[in-house]
Formats: sequence, structure tokens, C-alpha cells
Amino acid sequence: MTPSPERCPTCADEAVAACVRSVEGLEAVIVVDQDTERVAIDLVPDARPGDVLLCHAGIALERLESTP
Amino acid sequence: MKYVDEYRDPALARGLAAEIHSLVRPGEPVRVMEVCGGHTHAIYRHGLEELLPPEIELVHGPGCPVCVIPMGRVDDAIALAETDGVTLATFGDMLRVPGGRGSLLEAKARGADVRMVYSPLDALALAAQEPERHVCFFAIGFETTAPATAVTLLRARAAETPNFSVFCNHVLIEPPLRAILETPGLRVDAFVGPGHVSSVIGTDAYRFIPEEYGRPVVVSAFEPVDLLQSIAMLLRQRAEGRCEVENQYTRVVRREGNRRAVAAIAETMEPREDFEWRGLGVLPLSALRVRNAFAAFDAERLFTLPGARVEDPKACRCGDVLTGQIKPWECGVFGTACTPERPLGTCMVSSEGACAAFFSYGRLRRPREEAPVGG
Repeated sequence: MTPSPERCPTCADEAVAACVRSVEGLEAVIVVDQDTERVAIDLVPDARPGDVLLCHAGIALERLESTP
Repeated sequence: MKYVDEYRDPALARGLAAEIHSLVRPGEPVRVMEVCGGHTHAIYRHGLEELLPPEIELVHGPGCPVCVIPMGRVDDAIALAETDGVTLATFGDMLRVPGGRGSLLEAKARGADVRMVYSPLDALALAAQEPERHVCFFAIGFETTAPATAVTLLRARAAETPNFSVFCNHVLIEPPLRAILETPGLRVDAFVGPGHVSSVIGTDAYRFIPEEYGRPVVVSAFEPVDLLQSIAMLLRQRAEGRCEVENQYTRVVRREGNRRAVAAIAETMEPREDFEWRGLGVLPLSALRVRNAFAAFDAERLFTLPGARVEDPKACRCGDVLTGQIKPWECGVFGTACTPERPLGTCMVSSEGACAAFFSYGRLRRPREEAPVGG
């Protein structure tokens, strides 16, 4: 994932919530800062478009609740 | 931006700060350790200390993954990078961490093939693109980052990638917390627990802290409102005579964590007998190595590494900073011999390191206090 001042490239320990645009197999296209990136969803395999995922080091770790 | 703006709301922050002021007992100090380097970064970046009453002292913990890697392991990575035919891939922060023989960035300048990646999966893709090279991923990080390495190892095995390995330096959060809690004379009254580590291991993983050491824990997210709310929750526990693990980061963290992630780590990696930590020494069962079943992808089995233990520079007090015994500005070389541009210690390298965070955001607001060097 591309670094930004908002997050550290080492472990992304800033709030990194990314919305899923599409899913293909175990890869999802997510929207981050108006750009799109691909993440592995092996650990959140039921992710669907519209879900918000916590992403780190190229993989999705968890799905965020729909309402903060 | 959703999930960010609502947690930076100034009115909410002011309300929580007022609640914190109402919950402290005048003249009775409370030392709160934020375990995670991401929290340290956010505290300095948003100036949260200025909103707190003087009774609350924030102590920075050991949860910066770059900061705890000992110099000897950096030297091992440099040796790998300098091996004929090997490309060493790692996260950006690790490139600047000084070892006994300089940094990976300096090794790259000397001709070693060192590449920066954002994911171990990028390193695996590199191996597929460049079959004539052996691509080794220098893996660091707590339980937050270990799942990415685990998924990469599983994919490497599935794809039967012959030219990929992992130099595994993943560490675990519980052993350093126990070491800190057992440090003689160290007084920490409460813990702000790490957020993204907890998304993997869950909040139950911290029950030993209230149950065995009598300290409350609140697992927290990373925005200003999150951190202020977590501190208020800790103070509420004290006021109500409770001592337990609570979860502020409910929008992500569950009590049991992500079982798929935990299972992926367990399938691919196992605890080492011991591992050296900067500032904490050698801790038993505190890090992970690649399991036998994945030996074909284990750089420590495929290559001979120096494996030497390297003493930290005497003037650098990263160890004392990492265990909360001194503040960054109390180190004699802070901001002089050690800066983010030319770091002497790891705490000044990573943006999550307490020294780098304070240098970037906090130093202009606080006059530097003198402290003896090397003690």
C-alpha cells in the first residue's frame, strides 16, 4: 500500500479503514485516499463490495462495524 | 473521511478532557503506559498531553516494531543482502535502522540488492518476476504484521515458489509487557492496550494484566477522541474500584480477535526459545520463527548468518525510553547526535518511535530538560 503522512509504512498503526470496491477471488480492490489498491482477503474471505476493511501490509485484517 | 473525522471532533475531545479532569484526584499521580508506537505517534501529533491534567503521566511503551529489533539482527539482514544472487526486501523504516555494520540503506549504496516493499506479498510477487534472484523478505512486526507474513508463506507454498524465503523477526506483545510489569521499581498504574495487534489476538489476550498484576487495560483505537476516551475509561475503572480489560476499539476489535489470522500464524510460525529485544534483553518465547513445514522458505535454514549480538551505542538510551524509564528528551543525544535524519537509536528511526514522534511534534512545546547520559 502506498504510504501517506497519515500512516506508517511499517505497521499502519493509524486509522486505515478502506472501502471495498470489488472482490475477485481472495483479492479485493479497496479505495484509499481516492486511489485504488489491491489487498489480500484470505483472513476476511467473506468481504463484499461496500464493506470497510482494516488493511495492513497488503492484507485485510478485519471488517469494521458498519456504524462507528 | 469516515472513521477518521468523527474521531477528531474537537467538541467531543474537549468533553472527554473535562471528564478526565473530573476523574483525577488532585495531587494523586496516575502513570498510563500506551503500549503501541502508533498511540505514541498520535499523542504527540495531536498534542494530547496538553489536554490532560498534570496528574496524568503518559509513559511510552515497547510497541514500536522497528524500535525493538536488536542491532545483531540488522547485521544478519545486511549479510543476507550482501549474499550473491539474493535480493532483500523489507519495509521502508527498516532500511534506515543502524546495525553494527551500518544500515541496509548503506548496504544498498555499497551495491547490495535491497528493495523497499509495502507488503510481504509484494516480495513474493518480486520472486515470481525475477526467477534468477532469490528474494528474501526481512519480516518484522508484532501480531499486527505476522498475519501478512503467514498468508505470504501459505501462498508461497501453494505456488511452490522456489526462490523466496522469509527472515523471520516477528515478535509477540505479551512477553515484553510481562517484562515491564516485573521490572523492579517501575510504576505503571494502567495500560492503553494496542489496537491493531488486538484486532488479531483479541482483548482476552490481556486478561493476565488485571488478573496477575492488578492493572487495568483499555484497548484503544488511534484517533484523538479514541485515546482520550480510553484514558477516561481507565480512570473510571479506578474511580469505581474495577480492574479489568475493556475495549474502546469496538468498531474493529473483538474479544476473540481474528481466529483465521491466529490460525494462519500458528500454521506457519512457532515461538522461538528466546529472542533479544532492544532495551529488554533476551526474553523467552517472545518471538516467532518459521515452522519446519515451511523450512524451504526459512532464510535462517537456507543461509548461514553471523548471528552475533551487538551492543547498542553507549550514548543511546533507547532501552530506557522503550521501558518508560526516561522520556525521549531526557536522553543526552536526543536532537543533537541523534535526529530523524541521522538516527543513532531505533526510537528515532521509525515514525512510531517515541523519540521521532517527540522530535517531530512535541519538542517545540516543551523546554528540554537535562538528564545524565548513559545512566
